[in-house]
Amino acid sequence: MATPTGAEGGTTPPGGADSADTDAGTFYECNICLDTARDPVVSMCGHLFCWPCLHQWLETRPQKQMCPVCKAGIGKDKVIPVYGRGSNNQQDPREKLPPRPAGQRSEPENQGGGFPGFGFGDGGFHMSFGIGAFPFGIFASTFNFNDGRPGPAPPGSPQNREEQFLSKVFLWVAILFIFYLLIA
Amino acid sequence: MASMEKRLQKELLALTKDPPAGVKVDSQRICTNLSEWTVDLEGAPESIYEGEKFQLMFKFGSRYPFESPQVMFIGEHIPVHPHVYSNGHICLSILTYDWSPALSAQSVCLSVVSMLSSCKEKKRPPDNAFYVKTCSKNPKKTRWWYHVLLNKVERNSVNMYEEERPCDMK
Ligand SMILES: [Zn+2]
Ligand SMILES: [Zn+2]
Repeated sequence: MATPTGAEGGTTPPGGADSADTDAGTFYECNICLDTARDPVVSMCGHLFCWPCLHQWLETRPQKQMCPVCKAGIGKDKVIPVYGRGSNNQQDPREKLPPRPAGQRSEPENQGGGFPGFGFGDGGFHMSFGIGAFPFGIFASTFNFNDGRPGPAPPGSPQNREEQFLSKVFLWVAILFIFYLLIA
Repeated sequence: MASMEKRLQKELLALTKDPPAGVKVDSQRICTNLSEWTVDLEGAPESIYEGEKFQLMFKFGSRYPFESPQVMFIGEHIPVHPHVYSNGHICLSILTYDWSPALSAQSVCLSVVSMLSSCKEKKRPPDNAFYVKTCSKNPKKTRWWYHVLLNKVERNSVNMYEEERPCDMK
């Protein structure tokens, strides 16, 4: 009943469509078309797709770009093309639209410093960090015990009093803010 | 589109070869029209639907798998369930907002089966009468407003593929 389709003859693995259901065959299948990935790209979360398939999915929901498999953030510039040996033997890449994003070469000394995993979903990450850091920054300056850092002005000076007043104001703002978050 | 047909063939083969418990698909009947499937469901043993038989209809549009299939219960016997309207429409987030092309007919079957198995009480959605009178024939055209809210809550707490709550907001 599964009629063999010869349309993509050049990319069908040896053995034909029937052997594609073995474990070895499904491993390199695109998670969208369930066929051997053509113009493969891999997401930061490690999921494999044909670039045309993934591109169409990103176009389908431009405002909600998630990995179809694990729902991690995903995007045009957050996938890595995969080049197998002899991939040039495949169909003329110019016929394929849209063009697959190019691979990026980073300099060796940059390696180890970055956390590429934090690259996606950065909007949410930064926002929550900012909100979290605000009250704690205030606490830090309010309960500033003498830890040797060049910090507060000498006790009793007008500047010190002003600082203490300001930090108390900010402390209350922070407490109100937390309270607001709790009841909101 | 050729790749869509190929995918549907693979899905049909997988579902025929390795169906989830209680799911049966007659591939011979589907072969004539690959874009419309009828799947037989049987209530899981020890669930409140034990022994009951249902039919699920799948319609795959030309934009499948980028758009979700249209899935609903058909026939005489529609399960009485807080997520299933008496016209067969199902309120299940993966059929609309949470659809992903990595899902498949098989995963939809699994979700429907687990939705039925986890149900504790047979009752219709609270707005059933109104919905059935006013809805479109295609459940995908329904804007499941409160269901969206509910799904957002669920996404924060539990696995969204296994909805266990009734459709109404409480
Ligand atoms: Zn693909
Ligand atoms: Zn992923």
